[in-house]
Amino acid sequence: MATNLPDSAIPNPLTRTDLAAIRSALSTQLATRLESRRGETPVRREVLVCAGGACVSCHADSVAQALRDEVAGAGLQDAVRVVEVGCMGLCDAGPLALVVPDGVYYPMLDPEKVQRVVSEHLAGNTPVADLELAWETPEGKLLHSREVPFFARQQKIALRNCGVIDPASLEEYVAADGYRALEKVLFDLEATEVLDALKRSGLRGRGGAGFPAGLKWQFVREAAGDVKYVVCNADEGDPGAFMDRSILEGDPLSVIEAMTIAGRVIGSRQGYIYVRAEYPLAIERLEGAIENAWRCGLLGPDILGSGHTFEVEIRIGAGAFVCGEETALMRSIEGQRGTPRPRPPFPAQCGLWNRPTLLNNVETWANVPPILLRGADWYAGIGTQRSKGTKVFALAGAVRNTGLVEVPMGVSLAEVVEEIGGGMRSGLPFKAAQSGGPSGGCIPASAADTPIDYESLQELGAIMGSGGLIVMDSSTCMVELARFFLEFVVDESCGKCPPCRIGTRVMLNTLEEITAGRGRLEDLDLLESMAAHIKGTALCGLGQTGPNPVLSTLRHFREEYEAHVVDRRCPAGQCKALLTYSISEELCNGCGLCAKACPSDAISGTIKHVHSVNQELCIHCGSCLTACPTGALVGH
Amino acid sequence: MSERTGVEERQRTTGELPGFFGTQEPLPADEIRPEVWDLIDQWVAAHPGGRERLIPLLHRVQEEIGYLPFPVQEYVAQQLALSPIEVYGVVSFYHFFTTNPRGRYQLKVCMGTACFVRQGQRVLEAIESLLAIGIGDVTEDRLFSLEQVRCIGACGLAPAMMVNDEVHGHLTATEVRKLVRKLRARARRESAASAEEEASGDEPA
Repeated sequence: MATNLPDSAIPNPLTRTDLAAIRSALSTQLATRLESRRGETPVRREVLVCAGGACVSCHADSVAQALRDEVAGAGLQDAVRVVEVGCMGLCDAGPLALVVPDGVYYPMLDPEKVQRVVSEHLAGNTPVADLELAWETPEGKLLHSREVPFFARQQKIALRNCGVIDPASLEEYVAADGYRALEKVLFDLEATEVLDALKRSGLRGRGGAGFPAGLKWQFVREAAGDVKYVVCNADEGDPGAFMDRSILEGDPLSVIEAMTIAGRVIGSRQGYIYVRAEYPLAIERLEGAIENAWRCGLLGPDILGSGHTFEVEIRIGAGAFVCGEETALMRSIEGQRGTPRPRPPFPAQCGLWNRPTLLNNVETWANVPPILLRGADWYAGIGTQRSKGTKVFALAGAVRNTGLVEVPMGVSLAEVVEEIGGGMRSGLPFKAAQSGGPSGGCIPASAADTPIDYESLQELGAIMGSGGLIVMDSSTCMVELARFFLEFVVDESCGKCPPCRIGTRVMLNTLEEITAGRGRLEDLDLLESMAAHIKGTALCGLGQTGPNPVLSTLRHFREEYEAHVVDRRCPAGQCKALLTYSISEELCNGCGLCAKACPSDAISGTIKHVHSVNQELCIHCGSCLTACPTGALVGH
Repeated sequence: MSERTGVEERQRTTGELPGFFGTQEPLPADEIRPEVWDLIDQWVAAHPGGRERLIPLLHRVQEEIGYLPFPVQEYVAQQLALSPIEVYGVVSFYHFFTTNPRGRYQLKVCMGTACFVRQGQRVLEAIESLLAIGIGDVTEDRLFSLEQVRCIGACGLAPAMMVNDEVHGHLTATEVRKLVRKLRARARRESAASAEEEASGDEPA
């Protein structure tokens, strides 16, 4: 990835004067990336290409290369610069690029479209209307690029630099107000003032539990001992959550700066970032950022001449969900099996290698520099009474615009799903949203007007969690969903405490009986009482919250459970054992694959003719459904 | 580290295990490339420290040979002054570590929530029936191995799977069939190319 200045131009180590010089040289240009100025011919254009994880996997790198080649071919290399930036959020539209200062988004780029963008827009100064990102409102009005609700309704604090700066460029980070908060902490503020600002801002831990961040910092600062550690929890294991990955990929230095600040405040010289092994791109960009910071003296001894020494190391996880739990995470860093231990003592007193340890999640860290820079009152002015600031959600599932969104606390689920998310992709009705992953619960469509904050989600039986928001339409079976999450918990249970190891297994067996059509009405009571026992007795957060998906679906969709056990029917048409299979005469091409797949010879027909299912012989295994290549086989 | 004992030396050369894993099915010694022992030695020498080195070292070794056979685990234990059971305890705890060889193409089907909601199960079933292997298995020709993983964070592309480090999104049973066919063709092309290279004796000196 390109940097603005050649390596040799960066003095080593940087001084405060150097930082100021970088800012004054680059910040004006950087500011144009946030503008939407159309109809004029700028002296210099930039094409920002999203290089977030999702876009990279649909070959954004070759799109960026094609753009560079075309720009050079058109002789525009002095007037147009192609920059690869972090995640822009609209993952569904990848590969995605933004032309600035015009503010025009081009989704789903391919070599042919790239050619047109270069010749018509970059050379000809006319945005390519038919390729530009557009969105039709329910009233029939056509909105373009930044006016599209997906972008217009967001407020970015944690994601402020994602999709704007080149994550590999330290200069761009500095120019985007980077390291100004650290300078303030090193030279202008007392540690107690920093703690006070954090407390007044109302920032709560974004990893799930929502513990006030300022208070946690204070506990670690006040803990006895001269060796303390700072840890970033980037073990984002909740299926359906990818906000931490995007921050690490798009703005790794913000996390490193925040950890350096914490080091100064609590008196620590060593930080660790614990990242999932499943995120190779995030690891690569973090490594690059740490190396850059080292090279410029922003990590290491005597940072900016302040006398503050701080180092950061990466520790790579090895695929254990329970390691997202803080005590398990620390054991994993120590090289042990990642099993949790009872608290107290809390990590603030006795953490990594039994030393006081400050542990925060990626998104929490990313919020720290803006709070210190723009003030606690500014941050506390956003959000609701008890949940301040913004929250990043990973929007996925049946919704049309999947991707990453950051909204103020207190917006309603309906706004996120219908307006930002653009409603259901399938056109089926919105049924529920699942928040908080395997520890969370479902919010039914009937409660979609509830403002999203820590307290109101808890009242609904869900949790904020890390911010994974899986949207479901009416084709999702809630019993099957509960079974899916419980299977996850059973798989990931570390086995240390019996309530989690045995209890969740019993619950899973019960749910499997229900989805297989062998459930009884009293099973529902069994599930509820088991859930209560497990929640009350399990050792760590994984077990204590594991039954939540079952409890919340039982609470909001009990009639669906009853349909499974009483009527032996799956209303969503998902549970194979409860379906009746038939073959559509229009769609069947007579290939015979279904008959071949059927283990009970229930499907008959001659090749190239429409086949049929004998219901008497059918054992409801669903093999034919998988085998059918044309979608002719349907289950009701 | 003190001088290598006779037992260690035998292990390095034969992969044979005298100790803790002796009752386990032994793996053919020639499957473990001799460079691995040196890699472990060098890594340990370059990273002074204690037990916290275990997981990074296992990552490094698995990156090199694709899995963690028992002789290697025991060698790691010796070099880090741990007991083999401590190493095995860590290897078996973390999903990422495996004691089975993997295929040339590791298919990791995402079973995260977003993929679940978008019919990821169908993708998995399609692969299982196509390759006639289950989760955790490898095909006889060692071309494909199948795993299910928990959320690769490509939820925007659901249902998704990884082939080695490459993410493939928006999958259907038909797409999966196409992809497998493509990978098979690629493997054939590559082995044909390397066979040709060998035959022509054109290998770089």
